[in-house]
Amino acid sequence: MALPTMRRWLAIPGQLPRDSRDTLFMLMVIFWVVLPQVAHLPVWCTVLSAGVLMWRGWLAWGARALPSRWWLLGLLVLTLGATWFSHKTLLGRDAGVTLIVVLLALKTLELRARRDAFVVFFLSFFVILSNFFFSQSLLTAAAMLVATLGLLTALVNAHMPVGKPRLRDAAKIAGWMALLGAPIMAVLFVLFPRMAPLWGVPADAMSGRSGLSATMQVGNIASLALDDSIAMRIRFEGAAPPQSSLYFRGPVLSTFDGRTWQPLRSGFPPRMQPAAELQVQGPVINYQVTLEPNNRPWLLMLDAALAPPQLAGLEATMTSELQWLTNRPIAELLRYRAQSYVDFRHGPVRATPGLQDYVDLPASFNPRTLQLAADLRRQFGNSTADNPQLVAAVLERLRSGGYTYTLEPGLFGQHSADEFWFDRREGFCEHIASSFVILMRALDIPARVVTGYQGGELNAVDGFFVVRQRDAHAWAEVWLADQGWVRVDPTSAVAPGRTGTLQRLQSPPGLIGGALLGTVNPAFALQMRAMWDAMNNGWNQWVLNYSEGKQLNLLSQLGFESPSWEDLIYVLASLLLMSSLAGAGWAVWQRQRHDPWLRLLSDAELRLTQMGIKLPPQCPPRQMAQQMEQQLGSTHPGLNAIREWLLQLEVLRYAPSIDRASANTRLATLQTDFKQLPWNL
Amino acid sequence: MVPLTLTSTQTRRGFFGFSRPLARLRARLQAWFEARLPLADSVTLTQRTVYILPTRPGLMLGATLLVMLVASINYQLNLGYLLTFLLAGSAVVAMHISHGTLRGLNLNLIAPDAVFTGATAIIGIKLNNTGRRTRYGVGLAVQGSGQWAWSDVPPLGSSTVQVAFTPPRRGAHRLPALTAETRFPLGTFRVWTVWRPAAHVLVYPAPESPAPTLPPGALQARGATSSVRQVSGEFDGVRAYQRGDPLKRIVWKKWAKSDQLVSRESSQAHGQTLWLDARETGLADPEKQLSRLCAWVLQAEQAELDYGLRLSGLEIAPARGDAHQKRCLQALARQ
Repeated sequence: MALPTMRRWLAIPGQLPRDSRDTLFMLMVIFWVVLPQVAHLPVWCTVLSAGVLMWRGWLAWGARALPSRWWLLGLLVLTLGATWFSHKTLLGRDAGVTLIVVLLALKTLELRARRDAFVVFFLSFFVILSNFFFSQSLLTAAAMLVATLGLLTALVNAHMPVGKPRLRDAAKIAGWMALLGAPIMAVLFVLFPRMAPLWGVPADAMSGRSGLSATMQVGNIASLALDDSIAMRIRFEGAAPPQSSLYFRGPVLSTFDGRTWQPLRSGFPPRMQPAAELQVQGPVINYQVTLEPNNRPWLLMLDAALAPPQLAGLEATMTSELQWLTNRPIAELLRYRAQSYVDFRHGPVRATPGLQDYVDLPASFNPRTLQLAADLRRQFGNSTADNPQLVAAVLERLRSGGYTYTLEPGLFGQHSADEFWFDRREGFCEHIASSFVILMRALDIPARVVTGYQGGELNAVDGFFVVRQRDAHAWAEVWLADQGWVRVDPTSAVAPGRTGTLQRLQSPPGLIGGALLGTVNPAFALQMRAMWDAMNNGWNQWVLNYSEGKQLNLLSQLGFESPSWEDLIYVLASLLLMSSLAGAGWAVWQRQRHDPWLRLLSDAELRLTQMGIKLPPQCPPRQMAQQMEQQLGSTHPGLNAIREWLLQLEVLRYAPSIDRASANTRLATLQTDFKQLPWNL
Repeated sequence: MVPLTLTSTQTRRGFFGFSRPLARLRARLQAWFEARLPLADSVTLTQRTVYILPTRPGLMLGATLLVMLVASINYQLNLGYLLTFLLAGSAVVAMHISHGTLRGLNLNLIAPDAVFTGATAIIGIKLNNTGRRTRYGVGLAVQGSGQWAWSDVPPLGSSTVQVAFTPPRRGAHRLPALTAETRFPLGTFRVWTVWRPAAHVLVYPAPESPAPTLPPGALQARGATSSVRQVSGEFDGVRAYQRGDPLKRIVWKKWAKSDQLVSRESSQAHGQTLWLDARETGLADPEKQLSRLCAWVLQAEQAELDYGLRLSGLEIAPARGDAHQKRCLQALARQ
């Protein structure tokens, strides 16, 4: 683009009338605020808001009249209806965000009074906050900082009533305000007591964030497999176990209705269900986990952990299926230390009645798989002793039967296992695991689906193992006599690359990422990404993970014994007191400091008044000298010295050409002379 | 289209402005408060004379921040805390900036000229800024009028604003209390001061309109006190321009042709002098008398007559010219 064209565009804000420029600037800021959450808004909301904002921009550009209130009312009713249609409610987080975004856009059409403008500003602050529901990443923070500064700039600009102030000046003042406000922010952030939610968080609190699910339907994990966001970070104290052992256990799904895998719904009383009976051996692995919030009570632990992890404020328990649960959902970044053993054995050794739940299959589903099982049984024998061979045979079938791993297997019909085993012969972990478990159950071998994360990637910059949402995985456990539950990962039979090594299916890079990183050295790109992840991790550890525990730690470092949140209040209050005292001191000092020249003049005035001379208010030095001469007579002995001093004082203030340095020395001379003047004669 | 400028379009409704007894109480409080203020034509605003209170939008911002804090707590958003506290910090800084905008500002009165009753006196105020920062958005108004004149005061400089004030009656009036206000930078705080200038404005009577012609009986033969303008060498009706000649007397056509300023001379002016007497107005109401006299003074001056003024206990000898007119009018004002 030619430079002159650029210039012409840049000059446009200077040519617009002030109202148009201010409104357009504000609309740009609003655009910037809303943009990051477009992905989380219903399509109609995005289209409507963008349309209204552009309409408003067009009106502002041509200084056209605003539409009548009937328009707004109509749009508002439409919005309420559409919100109800999209969210089935007008309350709650998602509906609230949708409503507030549209209201903000609509309010820009109604800037009729001063109050309206303020409403727009405050709604915008809210929309900034609502961005954090969906992401609290470093990038989001940076973008929203820009937005906040933009809003402050618009607000400052709106309070410059004279002429057409430059936006740059307003931005400078807004920047200073934010900069000077930052220490206050830091103090409040560090010391404001972190408390539990004041009331129940609505159920949709975390729906914007991806994670494992409590149930598994075909196609449910496909979206996760493409999601590069981070599920958790792990730092191993000591050597990391091999990739093939990195199974992080989430929900175990044991009940199948033909479409959906769900956690076990047993008809047996609990005592008859198979117990955990975990036995561990081999070296212990100590590690630290920073778990991103998942709004579920699931602690992701490396298989298998014997003892509960060290948690602040949460209780952890292990289910009979080895999954670790907390007593409330994990709504904020959580850090914990844990111990695991990759070498373990669990489940009953002998067959128990409860195992019957793990061979249940719904009727009239997957007839061909049932037939396959019958064929296999005929081939390998009917006794339980043949079970290990059957498992091996099925795995062999997966390995050599032309089955492939794909992220895009398409939609499966009613008989999902049949389709996998005989028709499509492709799928990703959940299809494979589901089909495998169905076949096992058809073979009368107790089996279940385990979901969680598998693998991870070492960040060389900070030494953290990063587990991403795309590492979400589903595998199987089969029960074998004398061995208990045995982990079988049928996916690794289909695609050895999916587990066990660092190679993974790359999701297609985004448009910008591809353009930027595609051209550079892949090693460099990897390095950049590692740095970026490390930065993000630092952000997580220091900002997002700042919790009550860290606050209290800080206090104990400050010398509080057994600190509590009351202590936080004390510290905050005393800081407040100290800063007010400092402010008061500063004010006194300011008054003292006043203009030294004026102080000298008022001192002289006081002395002259004490000599009995009546002076008019606001009397300049020359007039003081005249008054003195008039009232005391020209023969007064002190007159000449005092008059000379007063005239010097006048020169100091009103002579045009005195530079700063010599003015200061002259002032100092006058101050010393003042004390020696014959005031008392 | 309504401007986004927040301070210029405000419609102020006082804090207590919604109910009548409270409004009356408020007015009395205000009167008491104003009576305590010293009178001065120049003030430098200090901590003691600058007041600050949150505005309605300020309270609205407070409520917004509170809701944002609750949202941050309920959804456990650390970034939400950061945003809320950043805005709160900025608001605190804004409060100081707001206060600093008036604190240290020097206000100097430019006393208004005398006006006729019913006319508007323009009070000029010079704002001096000895600080190193621009003081943005300083508004001045006559206390209670709600008509603001806004100005930015440059660093180490000054600016002048004018506010209008309509004195209610004839006579010497003390200037009304003035108020300076700013809501810069966020509009969340109103910072203001009240200032009572010591200066007075003199209010002449309102000239009667339409006024009867000058009293003919008062015309006298002109004495020796003739105009100094009677210089020889003039032809009748036009003479060379002299300083003080009204613009409307200048023969502009002549000036366009020859570059010489020439004034018309009223032929009426010659040889007449006039006594304007309150008793000769034929009116009983003293105020109406003064109004008519005022109109006559203006007429006589316009007609370039020598005129004198007789009031009860006061007599101004016949003369003419701006100074004489002013003397007469002042006498009428103070009567």
